[in-house]
Amino acid sequence: MKKFLFSIITVSLSGVLSAQTGAPYIHDPSTIAECEGKYYTFGTGGGGLISQDGYVWKGGAERPGGGAAPDVIKIKDRYLVLYSSTGGGLGGGHYGKIMTMWNKTLDPKSPDFKFTTAQEVAASDGFEDCDAIDPGVLLDPTTGRLWVSYGTYFGNIRLIELDPETGKRKAGNQALDIAIDCEATDLIYRDGYYYLLGTHGTCCDGVNSTYNIVVGRSKSVTGPYLDNLGRDMKQGGGKMVVAAENRAVGAGHFGRFIVDEGVELMSFHWEADFDMSGHSVLAIKPLIWVNNWPKVGTPIKSGVYEIESERRGYALELAVDFQRLEQERQFFWRINPDEPIKSLEAQKLSDVEKKWSKGTIAVRAGDYMNRPHQRWKIEPLTSQSGYLGSPYFKITIDGTDRALTASEGFSITAEEKFSGSDYQLWRIEQLTDGTYRIMPKKVPGVDGINKKYVIYSISDSNPILGEYDFKSDNSKWNFKQ
Amino acid sequence: MLLAGGVSAQNPIISGQFTADPTARVFNGKVYLYPSHDIPAPQGQRKDWFCMEDYHVFSSENLTEWTDHGVILNQKDVPWGNPNGYSMWAPDCVYRNGKYYFYFPDGVKEGMGFGIGVAIADSPEGPFKPVESNIKGISGIDPCVLLASDGNAYIFWGPGRCAKLKDNMTEIEDDTPSETVKFGDREFQMSGVNCLKDSPSRQAEGPFAFEYNGNYYLTYPYVRENTEVLGYAMSKNPMGPYQYKGLIMKEHASGCWTNHHSIINYKGQWYLFYHHNDYSPQDDKRRSVRIEKLFFNPDGTIQEVKPTLRGVGIVDALSKLQVDRYSSASNDVKINFLDTTDRFLGWEVTLDKKGSYVTFSDVDFSNIKDGYFTAAVKANKNTKFTIREKNSSGKIIAGADVICITEGQFKRDYSGQYLTVTAPLKYTPKGITDICIVCEGEAVTVDYVQFKNKEKYFSEPKAAESKPDKDGFLKRWLLLEPITNGINTNVIFVDSYLEKTFNEANYLKLFDKVPVNNQKVKYGNQNLIWHKIDSENYNVKLFRFAESYNKPVYGVLFSAVTEIYCDKEIADVRLLAGSNSASAWYLNGEEILLMSGDRRMVKDDCASKVVTLKKGVNVLRGAIINGPGMSDFCVRFVDKKGNAITDFTIK
Repeated sequence: MKKFLFSIITVSLSGVLSAQTGAPYIHDPSTIAECEGKYYTFGTGGGGLISQDGYVWKGGAERPGGGAAPDVIKIKDRYLVLYSSTGGGLGGGHYGKIMTMWNKTLDPKSPDFKFTTAQEVAASDGFEDCDAIDPGVLLDPTTGRLWVSYGTYFGNIRLIELDPETGKRKAGNQALDIAIDCEATDLIYRDGYYYLLGTHGTCCDGVNSTYNIVVGRSKSVTGPYLDNLGRDMKQGGGKMVVAAENRAVGAGHFGRFIVDEGVELMSFHWEADFDMSGHSVLAIKPLIWVNNWPKVGTPIKSGVYEIESERRGYALELAVDFQRLEQERQFFWRINPDEPIKSLEAQKLSDVEKKWSKGTIAVRAGDYMNRPHQRWKIEPLTSQSGYLGSPYFKITIDGTDRALTASEGFSITAEEKFSGSDYQLWRIEQLTDGTYRIMPKKVPGVDGINKKYVIYSISDSNPILGEYDFKSDNSKWNFKQ
Repeated sequence: MLLAGGVSAQNPIISGQFTADPTARVFNGKVYLYPSHDIPAPQGQRKDWFCMEDYHVFSSENLTEWTDHGVILNQKDVPWGNPNGYSMWAPDCVYRNGKYYFYFPDGVKEGMGFGIGVAIADSPEGPFKPVESNIKGISGIDPCVLLASDGNAYIFWGPGRCAKLKDNMTEIEDDTPSETVKFGDREFQMSGVNCLKDSPSRQAEGPFAFEYNGNYYLTYPYVRENTEVLGYAMSKNPMGPYQYKGLIMKEHASGCWTNHHSIINYKGQWYLFYHHNDYSPQDDKRRSVRIEKLFFNPDGTIQEVKPTLRGVGIVDALSKLQVDRYSSASNDVKINFLDTTDRFLGWEVTLDKKGSYVTFSDVDFSNIKDGYFTAAVKANKNTKFTIREKNSSGKIIAGADVICITEGQFKRDYSGQYLTVTAPLKYTPKGITDICIVCEGEAVTVDYVQFKNKEKYFSEPKAAESKPDKDGFLKRWLLLEPITNGINTNVIFVDSYLEKTFNEANYLKLFDKVPVNNQKVKYGNQNLIWHKIDSENYNVKLFRFAESYNKPVYGVLFSAVTEIYCDKEIADVRLLAGSNSASAWYLNGEEILLMSGDRRMVKDDCASKVVTLKKGVNVLRGAIINGPGMSDFCVRFVDKKGNAITDFTIK
C-alpha cells in the first residue's frame, strides 16, 4: 500500500483556487465536453483547451472558423460544434452568422478527426436588433429537440431550433426574442424548468471587468424567462449566478456539466485572475441549486474543519479515548456576577496526542466537541493531477501527519504518515444541495480510479466506504469552521 | 409541402432537384407543373444517359414561389412498365369529365420500346392511380393531349404523330389510321397521322399542341444542325395538315443537346416553359426548368423567345433577389457557382470594374415602407456599389461600402470572404420597377440582395396627450439629437464624472425650458434639433432615434424631456429607471436620481428619492450618456408599495 512514499507532492500555499491549473487561458469557454476520456473546451478566436484529468488544462484543441464564443454538444456518437464566424461589432458590423459543424471526435490526433463543412443556421443583417454570435445549445431531455440561444448587447437574444440529426435549422423555424442586453447566453433544463443564462456587465477590461452571469427561468423553452422577481429577461431581468470573487473578476459564458446525479459543475471564464497575472482563464466551480435556482457553489478550500455527517450531524474523528478537559466545578446557582469573565482554552493536540496509539487508528463519527481528534486539515495537492475542476486533497489531523486513508475492507482509517498514495488522495465535491461527498482516488481491492465509493454513514457512528447515492444523506458531509 | 428551393423568381425555377420536359397546365386558377425528374444514375444504370424513376408535381400562383407536392408516380407502381427502366420521360396532365388524366411514357415490361400510360386522379396533386395497361396502338414517348374546341381530345406523341382519344381518355379511336414507316432499312407499323410530314422534323420529339385564336399550333423540338431547337407549325385542324412557321427558341448556347417545352396562358400572359442544364453544366442529361414570357405577332405567328437567367414573375423586394439571375448586364460580368460541390446553392455574379452592372427586372417595392437593404458580397479590395432604379445611371436607391480589409485596433482581412452589408434606403421606388446593381469601385461579387423594413421604434405623436402604459412607463418624449462627445468606453461613468459632465458648459440649460417639436439648438459647435416622439416600446430606444436622423450612435449624450400633468398632487412617489448606459434624472429642476457605471437596460434598475408630483405640470428631464452600446432607457413612477402610477397625462 505504501508504494508512493517518495512522490513529491506540493500543497497550495494560498489555498485559493480561482482557476484551473496548467495553461488554462481562454475566453468564452464552450460547455465542457468529454471525448474518449479527455475533456475539451473551445474559446473565442479558434482553438481551445484539452485536459487529461479535468484539472490540468493545456492548449491544443482545434476548431476551424475563428469567431466568437463557440459551444459544443455530443449528440449520439457525434459532436456538434457551434460558433459565430463574423459579427460582434469588433471593427465591423453586427452581421453575425451562427454556423454548425460535426466531428466524430474532438481529439485532433485521432484519425477520425475531421469537421464537416460548416453550415449557417442563423444570421443577423447588421441592422436589426440582434448580433448573431455567441451560440448556446440545449438538447431538451424531455423532447429530444435541439435549441440554440444567441445574441449580444446589440439588441435581442434569440432562440432558434435545429434538427438534431443534421445540425441544420429546422425547416420553417422562426427566431424568437427571449432576452435583451446579454452576451454569451446558454440554455439548460432541470426538473421542469428551462433556464436562460446570460452574461451582464463589462467585458474585456481586465481586472476592472464587471462581467457576471445571471439567470431567468421558464416552464417553456420559448419563454418568457423570468427572474426571481418575475421580471422578464426581455426587460433586463436576471438573478445572479456568479459574480466576482476577491481574487478573480469577470465571470462570463456559462456552461453546465453533470458529473453524476447531484454532482454538477459550471464552467466559465474569469476575465482576470489576480493570481495568474490577470489573465482570462478557465474556471470550473460547483453548481448548486437553491429553490430551483442555479448558483455557484463553494469548492472546498484549504483550512481546518469539522467534517460533519449530514445523516446525524456527528463529526468524523479518530477512534481514540475521549479525554476530558479539566475544569473547576461550576454550579449555576452560585455564579458570582461580579467576578471577572475568563476565557477557557480549547483542548490542545499536545494535551492528548501522546495517549493516541502509534500506527493506524480507526476513524468513526461522534458528537462534535472541537477536540484535536476531530479537527481535520484539508489541503489541495495542486502540483498533482486532479479530477474535473479540482486537484485532489490531503486530509490530516491538524498538527499531525496522520492522514485519512481508504483501507482494506472498505474501511477508513488514519495512517500515521501521509505517504501520498492514491488511497490518501481525496476527491471532495459539493453536491447540488450544498453538501459534499468525499471519495478516495483509489479503494483497496477495487481496480482503477475510484468513481463510486464515498465516505458513507452506514450507521450514525461508523462511516465506511460505500456506494454513492445522492438520494441518501448517508453519502453527504458538511465542512464546518 | 415543401417550397422547392425557396423563392425561385429566377431561372431555373426549381432548385434542390433536377426537373426537365416541363408541361405546365392551369387548373383551378393555379399553374401546375408536371416535369420529368432527372436523377444521377444509380448503380447499374448508364451514367451518361437520361435517368428518371418518378414524377413530382409542383404548383404556383405567381410563377415565383413553387410548392413541391412530392412524388405522384413511381416506376414501380406502373403495372405494365419496367420497374427498373428509369425511363419515366416527358409527361402531360389534362382535366376532363371531372378527372385529372396524367399521361406518361415508360419502358414496357415485356419486350422493347416505350408505351404510353394513363394515371387518373381527382385532384391535380394526385393521388394518381395508373390504368392497368398502356394505350393500345401507341408505341413511343412524350405524350401531349389537346382538348380541342371541336369537343374532341387528341393525343400527340413522339415525332409529331396524332390520334383521337375515345371519351374514356385511355384508348385511341378504333378507326385510327395507321401507316408503315421506314427507319433506315427497318419498317414499322405506326398508328395515327404524322402531323409533321411537311415540316422540318429531324429527330423531332416532345410535341406540344395548343389552340389559340382559331389556330392550332404544333410546337416541338427538333435538330436543325447539331442540337435541338424549338420549332412550330400551324393548322386550322387539330390533326393537320400543319404548315411549318419557324423557331420559338434557338439551340442552347451552352450546347445542352435537348430542349423540351410547353406553352400556357396564365392571367392574360403567355409563357414558355423549357429546360436547360443550369445546375449540371458538365452533364446535359440533368436538366432544370426555366420560364420566359412568350408573345404572338398579329398574324398569329410566335415571336422567337430569348432565354434569360431572370425568368419571369414579379418579385417582392422583401425576398432574396438572386441578382446573378439578371435580366441584362454589362458585357464584362461573370457568373460562377457558389459551390461546385452543391450546385443547387446557385450562383454569384462578379461586377468586374467601376461601371459594371446587372439589371434585375420587376421588383415590387410596395411592401417597403421605411427600408434598408442587406446584401451578401465579397471583394478582394475595399470597394463600393450602388443599387439604382431602372438602369446603371438611374436614381440611387441605396449604396454601401464593402470594407473587407481594415487597419488599426481591429485589423482584419476578409478579402475573398462573403460579408453582409447593409444600408438604409436613400430613396424608395414606388410599385414595380427594375433595379440595377452597379459597381462603383474595385471588383465586387454579389450573391443576393434583399430589401427589408426597419423595425418601428417611434411614431409621431398624433393624440394631444399620452398616458403612461399599464406598467406606468412614460412613452412620450422630446428627444434631442445626440451631442457627440467622443467617449469610447463606459467604464469612466463614475458619479463624479457624470456630475461634472452634466453640469459642464451649462448643459442642463439646454432644456431648462421645455422645448417644442423641431426646435433647433446649438451646443458648442453642434447644431441639434429636438424631436417629439411616442415610443412604440416601454423602453425608449435612443440608439435607433439617433440612427434615424443619421446621427452618431456611440460616444454620445442624449437629452430627454417630458411634461407630466396631474389633476391633483401625487405625493410620496419614486422614479424607477433603467438605462443603457449611465444617466441622471431631474424633476422640476432638481436632480432626483443618478445612475452611474456601465449600465444595462434593466427595468427598475434604480430608484429615486421620494418626490412629489405637484398638481398641474411637472417637468421630467433625463441625460443619458453612452460610449459603445445601444442607448435606451425606461422610466416610471411608483407609489410606496411599488405600484405603478398611471393617473396622469403626458403632453
